[in-house]
Amino acid sequence: MIGITFAIFMCSAVILSLALLATRGSSVQRELAFRTDLPPYDESLGHPSLCPPEFAARIFSPIDSTFVAAEKSRELVRLFHHERRVVALVWIHQTKTAIHRIMREHTRATRQSADLNLLTEAKLLSHYVQLVAVCDLLILAIQATGPARVGTLASYAASLSQSFADAQHALAITNTARDLRGASPAH
Amino acid sequence: MTTTRLVTVQAAYEDFLQRSLSRLSCDFARLIYLASTRDYNTGTYHHDGLASRFSPEVAAKALEIAHRQIFLQLSAYSLEQLVEQLRIYFESSHDGTGEILRMWQKLEPYRVAIPVEVNPAVARLFLSNVRLALAIWRSRQDQSLQGR
Repeated sequence: MIGITFAIFMCSAVILSLALLATRGSSVQRELAFRTDLPPYDESLGHPSLCPPEFAARIFSPIDSTFVAAEKSRELVRLFHHERRVVALVWIHQTKTAIHRIMREHTRATRQSADLNLLTEAKLLSHYVQLVAVCDLLILAIQATGPARVGTLASYAASLSQSFADAQHALAITNTARDLRGASPAH
Repeated sequence: MTTTRLVTVQAAYEDFLQRSLSRLSCDFARLIYLASTRDYNTGTYHHDGLASRFSPEVAAKALEIAHRQIFLQLSAYSLEQLVEQLRIYFESSHDGTGEILRMWQKLEPYRVAIPVEVNPAVARLFLSNVRLALAIWRSRQDQSLQGR
């Protein structure tokens, strides 16, 4: 009996969390469009790329927060938290857009490929799902605590997204080379 | 781009760093100067001296690279370093710091200093940091006025 109650409780918690993440995701996009002076990257205008990791580290670094706190102005601290929060959300939005694009391109390429390695595909998919989950978690964490406290998770997301992009790129090169070899006439 | 052209652009870039950029007081001044060599309407860069020593196309490419480099350098600065950059820039100007601060906070002229084709998150970080650095300057000025 306790087992069923616990299972129902867990299911409700998961559903609620997913609903919250979905709501947060779309509200973040609306919020960024309204509050940032640069629009979030419009996919129709070009290829969004990942932000270089050194800048991700800067956005989430606690050094600036300490510097601003030393100025002893409540207004400055408030402005700093607001500004950094928006920049962090722009970074996550950009990262998510980039990984979605990479996955879409990969799906398109695999549809045309005759020789698929299922293990590699499964690894890439799990990588992608993990990244999306980490980004959503980051959105919630930033909204709740601010960017300075989620630096470790952000740097994990930055390195994970970079290795995801690298893995997809390497796979695309291998597939293209294999397709070219397959297309070339036998000597 | 051919190797010969790349070498020429590199030479133009180094020439510009040595003759023009090194004479400016700080990286922030370099950024503003480089942004001012870009045409607002077309986005192309122009510098008479560099164009006469190389060619208008090579000069434009070298300026574009220099602009992006200095922008990325400034965007990676900590807030403390950026505040210091602004101090040097304001002090090297002939106008009063208070007046420049007021206008910069109001008009945000540094927004036009962002190169084209720059990463959106980096661009947003730069704008945010300059806005914060200006607010810190303003707060320090207000505090020193209250202290008198």
